[in-house]
Amino acid sequence: MTEQVLDRREFIYRVGSGAGVAAIAYQGLASLRSLRPNVSYDAPTTVKLGSITEFPEGLKFLPDQRLFVFREGNTFHAISAVCTHLGCTARAEALAAPEARQVGGRSMRLTHRFQCPCHGSRYSGDGSNVSGPAPRPLAWYRLWVAPDDGQLVVDLAYEVDHDFRLTV
Amino acid sequence: MVQPLPTREERAVPGLHPRRFWSLRPRSDRQSGDAIVSNFLLHWFPAKTYKPSMDWSYSFWLGTVSAALFLLLVLSGGPLLFLYVPSVERAYGSVKDIEFAVTFGSWIRSVHRVAAHLMVVAVFLHLVRVFLTGAYKNGVGQGQRRVWNWTIGVAMLLVTLLLSFTGYLLPWDQLAYWAVTVGTNIASSIPFVGPTVRELLIGGRTIDQPTLIRFYVLHVLLLPGALGALFVYHMWRVRKDGGLARADSVAIVSERLRTVPVRSKTYTLLGVARGTAPTVRTATLEAPDLTVNSVPDLTRRISIVALGTVAIISLAAVYVRSPLEEAANALVTPNPAKAPWYFLWLQEIVTDTTVHLGSFTINGAFLGGVLLPGLLVGLLTAWPWLDRSPMTAAGTWLPRSRRAQNAVFLAIAALVILLTLLGTFCRGPYWHFYWPWQPWPEIPTRL
Repeated sequence: MTEQVLDRREFIYRVGSGAGVAAIAYQGLASLRSLRPNVSYDAPTTVKLGSITEFPEGLKFLPDQRLFVFREGNTFHAISAVCTHLGCTARAEALAAPEARQVGGRSMRLTHRFQCPCHGSRYSGDGSNVSGPAPRPLAWYRLWVAPDDGQLVVDLAYEVDHDFRLTV
Repeated sequence: MVQPLPTREERAVPGLHPRRFWSLRPRSDRQSGDAIVSNFLLHWFPAKTYKPSMDWSYSFWLGTVSAALFLLLVLSGGPLLFLYVPSVERAYGSVKDIEFAVTFGSWIRSVHRVAAHLMVVAVFLHLVRVFLTGAYKNGVGQGQRRVWNWTIGVAMLLVTLLLSFTGYLLPWDQLAYWAVTVGTNIASSIPFVGPTVRELLIGGRTIDQPTLIRFYVLHVLLLPGALGALFVYHMWRVRKDGGLARADSVAIVSERLRTVPVRSKTYTLLGVARGTAPTVRTATLEAPDLTVNSVPDLTRRISIVALGTVAIISLAAVYVRSPLEEAANALVTPNPAKAPWYFLWLQEIVTDTTVHLGSFTINGAFLGGVLLPGLLVGLLTAWPWLDRSPMTAAGTWLPRSRRAQNAVFLAIAALVILLTLLGTFCRGPYWHFYWPWQPWPEIPTRL
């Protein structure tokens, strides 16, 4: 048996304490919103990588951008070094013998493969995930030549397909 | 005020507190008095303690060890608070100073680190002990809520792990930076809300000053505060549940002892002499030869355990140096990049759980890093409600009636330990498998 009594004193007590709790809870939650940043001071995603002559035939790794830039004669492409599993930086390993393969409908000389030190994901030279926990291939980014000073430019926010080549 | 009237049992049994918390709005003088009498600060310990509850080989005093380690962590964290600077430019330097320039700095840091690692071990073993003895089961007492206290305990294990993890980042060295990269990327693998959760955790999209200050505040303020509050509540509940389950178990299982007439009870002299008075049989719980005064018997043992823990840590910290790797470098991932040891079983799992179903892929980070541990914690929390073993199984080691569930529990625990050992000793560069005695190949540090 429960005793149901709701007299005026009890009613005022409930309204008062309820309003108090609601007010404090709302202010608490509202102030938590401050923890979600409105401004993110990220590094710019469009980056000048240097003059074309600074890129040797084959692979150049750019640690600041976590980017592999490949040069094959006068064509360029760029593959991200950020592992698609949990974001560690994959490392490139030169293949003993380069292999030729059709990538994105175009022939390509694969000179390297990639491995992630954190959980052992492996990628082939075009960034395709071969084994390990990586769920997706490495990203390819758009490259172009800056019109003002002729430097190579990458857009790290602009993914492209595997048939992308920059020809200079 | 709508409040159930006290039941007959509540009224009949003085000194028991059937509610989860104190009566904040007493309805009677009796409840008003209870609010003070049941206050946990005054009543962590009963006046009398049941002797078998204090056996070294029953509880191994693992809860007391955990509490002593927590106290030691708070104490050793004190000086570190004055010396450490939570800024990405200066954190590494300040830890380096603590390690190499501050008097006893290296020792204080080692005490903090060794105690932190051992606390993870002690809390885990405490949980294992409570499980294997069925100590989360209610016994003969009224108003027992041991199951509820078990969930509090699980929460405390999680907070302990979080405390360790947040402390891991603070030196801002390579070890720290990449552990946090991986840890927070696991959070971002949750479908839909993941990226927002990660942004909240690290205070932006890259690991930087906002991340460090967040982890710092969590580590020195919010998490220790939460653990302290939970600890106090945990202890109060143990007391209100009638002490350890061991006491109930002996009360149920053993024969009621025939005792000499107890002095507090009155009998006719003639009746006692002729043996015609009602036979005086007290439950074992009340038997004077099975209980001791908590002060000093219980408090003395607690002091021995706590001081012993402090002594061991203090000595160990002289010999065990705390590592400090190179300063954090966002440009180079160490190879191999290992999580702290107590998360290596998870690192092993996230490595193996990426599932490809045709063109559809589930990232192992979500499956092994969020879903599986979530299910494990859920199972652990809910287990007492699934447990259908009899009341007699409470408070005894590995009872027959709980053989199957103990086997399942031990199998899961063994798997976690096995994966931890595998990750610790058998993983080399690129997370490849190497036997502990196999040398690792030379890998250039760059590229």
